[in-house]
Amino acid sequence: MVIEQYTITTTPKYNFPQPTPDTPLPQRFLELSINSLRQVHNTPLQINPQPLLHPAPTDCPTQLQLKRQPLTLTPNHQETTIAAVDTSTIKIGETKTGIIIAIRGATVQRQNRNYHYTRLGPFIFHVTEENKNAVYNNLERDCFHSPHSGSYRFTPPLMQMPTRLASLLERWLQTRLARTANNAVILFDGSLTSGTIDTPVYRMREILSAARRNHNTVLAFSKATSMRINGYLITDLLPQGEAPYLLETLGLRFKPPTVPLGDVYVARLHKANMAFRLDIDCEIPTQSRMDAVERLLGNDALQNSYPETLRLAHILCTFTANEVLAMQHFITRRHGIQIVNRPDMHRLLFGPFGREGYA
Amino acid sequence: MKLYKKEGNIIQVLSFPTENAEKGDYLMVEDADAAKALIVQVIDVQFAAVPGVLEELLRTLPDGGEPIQGEDIDPLEIAPHITYIQDASLLVCKIRATLENGVLSPSSSWLPSRSQSLIRKLSVPALMKLAKVDGERPVILGGTKDSSLLTVDATDLDGTLNIITGKKGCGKSHLSKLLMASLVGYKATVVIFDLNGEYGSIGMTNDGRRNMYYDKIYALTPSQNFKVAINQLHLNVVLGILVNALHLPGTSAREFKRIWKQLKDQGKLTLADLHEAIRSCNCNQHVRDALASRYFSLVNSGFFTDNLAEAALLEDSLLKAKTQGGAIIVNLKNTGNIDRQIIVEYVLGKLVDSLQAWKLKAVFLFAEEAHLYLRETYWDDIVTRMRHFGIFTTFITNQPDTVQETIYRQADNIFLFNFTNEHDLDVVSRAARVDAETVRSIARDLPPHHCLTLGRVVRDFPMVTRVRSLDLKTMGETRLFFAAQK
Repeated sequence: MVIEQYTITTTPKYNFPQPTPDTPLPQRFLELSINSLRQVHNTPLQINPQPLLHPAPTDCPTQLQLKRQPLTLTPNHQETTIAAVDTSTIKIGETKTGIIIAIRGATVQRQNRNYHYTRLGPFIFHVTEENKNAVYNNLERDCFHSPHSGSYRFTPPLMQMPTRLASLLERWLQTRLARTANNAVILFDGSLTSGTIDTPVYRMREILSAARRNHNTVLAFSKATSMRINGYLITDLLPQGEAPYLLETLGLRFKPPTVPLGDVYVARLHKANMAFRLDIDCEIPTQSRMDAVERLLGNDALQNSYPETLRLAHILCTFTANEVLAMQHFITRRHGIQIVNRPDMHRLLFGPFGREGYA
Repeated sequence: MKLYKKEGNIIQVLSFPTENAEKGDYLMVEDADAAKALIVQVIDVQFAAVPGVLEELLRTLPDGGEPIQGEDIDPLEIAPHITYIQDASLLVCKIRATLENGVLSPSSSWLPSRSQSLIRKLSVPALMKLAKVDGERPVILGGTKDSSLLTVDATDLDGTLNIITGKKGCGKSHLSKLLMASLVGYKATVVIFDLNGEYGSIGMTNDGRRNMYYDKIYALTPSQNFKVAINQLHLNVVLGILVNALHLPGTSAREFKRIWKQLKDQGKLTLADLHEAIRSCNCNQHVRDALASRYFSLVNSGFFTDNLAEAALLEDSLLKAKTQGGAIIVNLKNTGNIDRQIIVEYVLGKLVDSLQAWKLKAVFLFAEEAHLYLRETYWDDIVTRMRHFGIFTTFITNQPDTVQETIYRQADNIFLFNFTNEHDLDVVSRAARVDAETVRSIARDLPPHHCLTLGRVVRDFPMVTRVRSLDLKTMGETRLFFAAQK
């Protein structure tokens, strides 16, 4: 039996865990990517497709309350690894039968005041109605060896495939990080809410429990939240007081099947008047939670209350226009896909009034 | 390469890293449907405005200016494609001509197809063939970037006004020697005002042996082997020296004319008799003093003599050069400012006389740093009057603003070496046969010994050449204090 583990190699400056070059997931991603692209050989590609449909936001909890008494924090400079994960996806174009998408993930670790990143991808997929089950289910099975994998009912609609594939990669990266880091503060982008279509409860539980086993604490930062109290966003209800601090929430109830696996806080970690929703693994004792946030404060830069490590993970995985051009160049050269510029119907019908975002 | 934009006679071409086009290169934009092609020259290379490049660069430096460390696991190998797109360049090109049915015309009034046009590099030999830059008297200027030779026709230097300019130490004198030697090789008569005494050994090879030009070089050093017998001088030549070089006023010049004629009639035209005639002249004291002071300037120059035996006549050298070709090198190295002007006035006056009398067919005159010895009014004379007599001048200077603007406007050929100073480039760009953008953009980046050739010799297709080496003994190197101590 082969144990999936990171190799540890020593570099002159750093000693970060690094994925083995032949870790199963990238290889499987690569195989599926190439197989999917082979199906579109010599096919025209439209490069100005309609924007991606984003999944609907999760329901807002009811009876939510915010404790007005802040939990003040003191930066703890005890040497702690701060690690963050993020993924990104983009639709490169449309073919007659489907869409071509790219996904990429990044993990960033801060140790000894230095940042180090590992970037996976981009992986390019041609997803059609015909192959979407195979692509998604095969990846899920290979990533998580899940008993629920391979089932047709879990396969998302075509237009949600980009975010769902990116989500698979993100959960895989989170799992790897939770298993390989020790005594670290692990930062996720988003929340710890599970039970959604792309984040099953069992998977998030596995990630959090793996993290706890290695004495890691998972902190999930949401850049935007829809949680409101009396109509006000919880991140706007900041009391007068010296940052950094946390505000506890009470009465958090989600409609089934959504399950919160973290307790929700409002975190104002910098004197700048900005706050974020922060989910902390609810299985962790309160004092350990506070300690984790204080170690984050003492070991990472926090501009505008947002951790630099997580910001870097986001920056590193985001696709730039230049990269989109490069990927179009790649699929044209390697897979003979012709890029065609089909007219934008909005533009064609409404002229300058047909811009995106106009209702 | 892809055609991106056209504005006026400038087109922009998108080029990818593998295509490797540089400033000065020629491209052909072929539109097969229109059966025409544009011949364009790259005058600037810029980064293409690829969207997202700024973000790409910024995210590599987020850690307080230090590049963030890490590794990219890129199994599909997209990174080379990113670099390929990111390093795309925009070639700003000047339209030089349109090629239609094998004939070049200077038109840029049509627009080639952006999607269908095929863009390829045009080699110098191919362009020269299209432009019909050939002829019976080839002069190899040097090598081009694509390892071909730039060969011009010596006939295109005939009847033309040329300028060789560039900052010091970049190879101007070397090119002028090359042109001079080539013209002599085609039996032309060449006169050189050698300000620094660097042309005298042109008849020798680098290792001190005689070369093919040895018998055709006539090095004249004023006051040494180049003197003029006073009784062989024409009055107009002497008056030219007195008025233009020694600034003799009109009244005094009239008195001198009278004295000269009187002595000539008496057959007593010697330096001593001239002195005596001035001394005893029955005229205004101021006129007498003026004449006396000019007389002593002439005598002190050592250039004039009464002894016919020691007078080496310029005319003799010119006549020898007339049949087999030759270069008369007037060495001005150790002459003072006034003496230099006297000598130049004499030589030019003599040339005009010889040409007017059809003793000579035409002369190629090479003038280095002409502002140091050429009077103001001669500039116009050279480009208008003297050209009609058959004096075809090449000015060589490292101070382009010392050459009058009228010279630039009428220059037929310009051989431009490196300039970095904007003011110098502005001056040169006033030339009628060149556009300012080309001069500013290409000349600024020329390496040493590389020359941008503009004008008739290249059929108005500016060409960058590395000037070829010559097996001539050159003496133009700057004398160095520390050289011996190295």
